[in-house]
Amino acid sequence: MVEDAISARDVRKVYRTRGQPPVEALSGVSIRVPKGSRISLLGRNGAGKTTFLRIASTLLLPTSGEVRVFGRDVVEDPEGVRPLIAVVPQEGKPFFHLTPREQVYTYLRSRGFVRETAKSRTEEALSLMSLGEVADRLNVTLSGGQRQRAMVATVISTQAPLLFLDEPTIGLDPFARRGVWETLRLLTRRGSTILLTTHYLDEADVLSDRLYIVDRGRVVGEGSSEELKRTSGGTLRVTFQAPFSDGSGLEGTLSTFGPVLKEDAGGSLTLFTGPERIQELMAIAMARKVPATVGPVTLEEAFLRLVGRSIDEEDSGGR
Amino acid sequence: MAAEMGAPRFSRWQGALGFMLTELRVQGHETLALATSMIVQTVFIVFVWVLNRGLLPYALLGAVVFSVFQIGERVTNESAYIRIDHRLTDLYLASPLTPEAYFLGMATGVMTAFLPPVFVLVALIEVLHPLTWFAALVFAAVLVALWLFASAMGYIFSTLFLDSRAIWPYSSLFYNAFGVLPPVFYPYAYWKAIIPHSLEPLALLLPPSASAALVTWAEGLPLANLSGGEVAMASVAIVVESLGLFLFAVYWARRASRER
Repeated sequence: MVEDAISARDVRKVYRTRGQPPVEALSGVSIRVPKGSRISLLGRNGAGKTTFLRIASTLLLPTSGEVRVFGRDVVEDPEGVRPLIAVVPQEGKPFFHLTPREQVYTYLRSRGFVRETAKSRTEEALSLMSLGEVADRLNVTLSGGQRQRAMVATVISTQAPLLFLDEPTIGLDPFARRGVWETLRLLTRRGSTILLTTHYLDEADVLSDRLYIVDRGRVVGEGSSEELKRTSGGTLRVTFQAPFSDGSGLEGTLSTFGPVLKEDAGGSLTLFTGPERIQELMAIAMARKVPATVGPVTLEEAFLRLVGRSIDEEDSGGR
Repeated sequence: MAAEMGAPRFSRWQGALGFMLTELRVQGHETLALATSMIVQTVFIVFVWVLNRGLLPYALLGAVVFSVFQIGERVTNESAYIRIDHRLTDLYLASPLTPEAYFLGMATGVMTAFLPPVFVLVALIEVLHPLTWFAALVFAAVLVALWLFASAMGYIFSTLFLDSRAIWPYSSLFYNAFGVLPPVFYPYAYWKAIIPHSLEPLALLLPPSASAALVTWAEGLPLANLSGGEVAMASVAIVVESLGLFLFAVYWARRASRER
């Protein structure tokens, strides 16, 4: 049997602060990350993604449950786990008074790499993150996106078997984000395993072999992006641009095809279905002279259905 | 397993050198901070030079002691800055770099960066009042012990706060109060003259003033005459407190590396 990179079972975390009620950030999370895969934890801010990542990376003790990294218990054997991992912390910033080249190189040296290896890996990571032109400028003079890329470069330079990336593309422009995605794909092709947290739906969609949707400390959905989309009731989204309270009975007709979503702002009706029913639905639209659009179901719709709220809404309870 | 998976072999303290290199480069970019680290000492030396040049050897030796003690304040601020403002501690601790090597690397890096101005003071001492071999040995020993004490104190202190701005006044108060008020820049005999008899040993129990008392005594300065009991008390205090706090800092670094 192939050993998992991460195997987490029923992980709970309760934060206790004196004088305040306890906060349950994780309520029995079980996650499996196969070796060589890219797995995303997707959720709103405060859903518990970072808490799980910090537990799995040995930085936070769980209240109960078990997390194993390459078969090693993160609570009992953190020193066995740490050489196998590298972490991009959430909102981490490189040393302002180092250059990206110094940042990556000194980090590798502190991880025990000899000078020559550290040098070559530094150059490779800087190149992968397109930081060559600014490699010798102090981090304090770089843009937010360049600093974030310096952080990612620092971590990928380790070529650790398991990389944890907590919101790795936050603050990056679309071009730079795609650059990071390409690099992460390259790393998994080379054999690394990646667990990332994100609240960017498109990132989770295109980058993940498997997704865990986390909400209020629980995994509320898991599977590949396509599997999760199918939970919406179909692979296609059909939207009728008509007021749903116009008395025409359109909503009643459509509801025979499946659950109908009323979208207040646009005064429209949306339902999810498969390609085999599109012809019938278009016929209804033409007969009633109602504009209708057809498109693929997005992860956002799956998220909305599973969580009940948009990903942009924040939770106040978790961490 | 780590080696099989591409990670280098690692010993408990090995990464300290690598992190020291990091700190040294970080601090090295802040040359103004290195220069201004001498302000308090320079002010005191100038005052003493103007008011009573006979006390200059005490003030110069005290300035070196104070400089080394102040490294603790810089470790406090640096540790908090890395952890709170840059959120970089997770990057280093979720790695083969052990928490104690991280602490030691930071303490060593900060010390190394701030040593050059101290060498200027030592050179001045050698010109104005050359140290005997015995005094030089005692000086080196107490400075190492004081550095261990101050760095350990600084690291532990830094972990108790959630906001780095909140740390600055406390660390400044602690290191300046204990580095200036006791007899560090002035002779132990003067302390005895102004403090109630029962409180006299306090200066020999506090590492900065104990260090100053021992080194001025070893140098044979007239106002630093210590009894055998006082020498023993100061020596035991500095060794026990430095080693004790350093070992506690190692334990604390490991404990603090995993949030509860």
